[in-house]
Amino acid sequence: MSQPATESQPPPAQPSGHRDMMFCHECHDEWYRDEHGLTCPECGSDFTEIIEEGNDPRDQHMLDHDHDMDDDSSLPDLEAISPAMRPLFAAMHANQSPHQHDHTHDDPEEPDISSLQFRQVGPGRFSVTGTVFRTVSPPGGGGPPQAARAPNAGSGPFGGLTAILTNLIHGGIAGPQNPTQPAQGSQDHQPGQGGQMDEGAGSQPQAGVPGGAPQVHRFTYTAGARLAPRDPNNPGPRLEPVDELNNVLVGLMAAFGEPPDHHHHEHFHGPPPPINPLIQLFAQMLPGSGQFGDAVYSQEALDRIITQLMEQNASSNAPGPASQKDIDSLPRRKVGVEDLGSEGHAECSICMDEVNVGEEVAELPCHHWFHHACIAAWLGEHDTCPHCRKGITKKNDAPANENSRNQAGSGEGAQASTSIPSMPGAFVTGEGSSENPYVISGSPPAHPHNEDGSGNNGSTTRTDAAGAEDSSAGGGIGERLRRGLFGPPR
Amino acid sequence: MALPKRIIKETERLMAEPVKGISAVPHEDNLRYFDVTIDGPGQSPYEGGVFKLELFLPDDYPMTPPKIRFLTKIYHPNIDRLGRICLDVLKSNWSPALQIRTILLSIQALLGAPNPDDPLANDVAQKWKEDEKGAIETARQWTEQYAKP
Repeated sequence: MSQPATESQPPPAQPSGHRDMMFCHECHDEWYRDEHGLTCPECGSDFTEIIEEGNDPRDQHMLDHDHDMDDDSSLPDLEAISPAMRPLFAAMHANQSPHQHDHTHDDPEEPDISSLQFRQVGPGRFSVTGTVFRTVSPPGGGGPPQAARAPNAGSGPFGGLTAILTNLIHGGIAGPQNPTQPAQGSQDHQPGQGGQMDEGAGSQPQAGVPGGAPQVHRFTYTAGARLAPRDPNNPGPRLEPVDELNNVLVGLMAAFGEPPDHHHHEHFHGPPPPINPLIQLFAQMLPGSGQFGDAVYSQEALDRIITQLMEQNASSNAPGPASQKDIDSLPRRKVGVEDLGSEGHAECSICMDEVNVGEEVAELPCHHWFHHACIAAWLGEHDTCPHCRKGITKKNDAPANENSRNQAGSGEGAQASTSIPSMPGAFVTGEGSSENPYVISGSPPAHPHNEDGSGNNGSTTRTDAAGAEDSSAGGGIGERLRRGLFGPPR
Repeated sequence: MALPKRIIKETERLMAEPVKGISAVPHEDNLRYFDVTIDGPGQSPYEGGVFKLELFLPDDYPMTPPKIRFLTKIYHPNIDRLGRICLDVLKSNWSPALQIRTILLSIQALLGAPNPDDPLANDVAQKWKEDEKGAIETARQWTEQYAKP
């Protein structure tokens, strides 16, 4: 992005053989070290690596795509494509912002998509239309007429491209057709940038079905990729999230389909071209469970995970437990006649067992009563009265629950821990010290002067819980309903 | 695991004193699993519809809320297309003093009082806010189409 002159030229024209190429492990971006340095210009990550001859981190990411091709000496050098790509790049460049150009111009695999239209359909949105030619020919033939004619017969800038593709396919026989262009260093192998381009690039032209008719696959993919340059002075346009991966994959799968025949492997004296592992990979992901480790590729799988998360977090907003001490010290009393309802019956509303006069129950500060075992089980999870939601923990005087106990331990000396910002519900921070990082709640503080931060935290949490009670007393549907059913707090 | 007394009592009571417009019938082979129907409340776009739900009482019920899901398709800002319900008493505001019966009444009340400010189905909620009449009409059509016995 430094000089326009550099951008307007396709990379093959640059003396790139000795330039350090960088690779970002985060976003798989690649760039020249002398242009953008060691930090990824795309995502700002430091997790980058210099690509070297014997150490190409892209191998893992690209399924050895590049090197499968390169290492096979019987094939023409992949770089022979480059000159043919120039017109394509030039054509693309005309429509692109320099920013975007940078991401696509140096993708040597683009010729696989022999016609690629890049249209800007809105700020930051681009539509990619590609056509994939699969030239098929009798195996072992001396090159189909299609291929022989291609350099001349091809229309526009893609004619030369088609020729190169054909050469690639019949590499063992034809060899590089463009001797004027010396092979570039491996640094020029740049896998595509951006998801949809990547997958597009994964498709290799395939030959193999006898018959000689080219198979043309078209795909159109409109992406909301965030490709517009940012304006630091103005808020950016509201961009929709990048399209669902699922849509991209399904589109590409439909476009490429399964290879027509596995015959074509004969043409490559190396491992099969990478479309197969790629397709197999996607095919494994897409049907079936649609779940691949932590990643999901189908709506159902996403739904499953969301449901799971919702259930896991169902009670995350609920108040925390009361302390065992408070639960144990709940006052007990005998059920009296006045506790019985109009029909002469009373029951513990937790176990729904009938309670008789004279039976012992535990009474909460809000005067609602339950079997002690029943209410203890509930308060051990949430410090709220099942009827009115009032907690049993007293708020102002002698702190008794766990949070408040920390408060009690807080001394005068404010230490570094006070500066740790704490949120309600956050993990209690600053409880320990570097010498004694773990402080078990309830145990006497080993370093009382370090406890101040947690004291603050405790009080914040309490206030928050109190606020929640107030708001619920204001009435949601549930609360109104509950009051209607159970009556006001006794 | 034996069925807790409370579940047996609740079931008996649901059978003995049914609430109008609500039914919950346990499966024979799993007494924690209920087939539920809720009648759409009057003066709501769900009026006249009978909505099927499934209800499951987890092992630690009543310390945790029952799991409930609409089986009948319904157009409602707090119910998503999978039938999951956004209702505080089913989540953080659950209390063991609540019962199957009261929860089902809560859900019936939710049908009568949609709350698009706390949506689960975002598209529906947005429609509800922008064009309440249209949303209610859609809800009525869905009721007609999916919730008629």
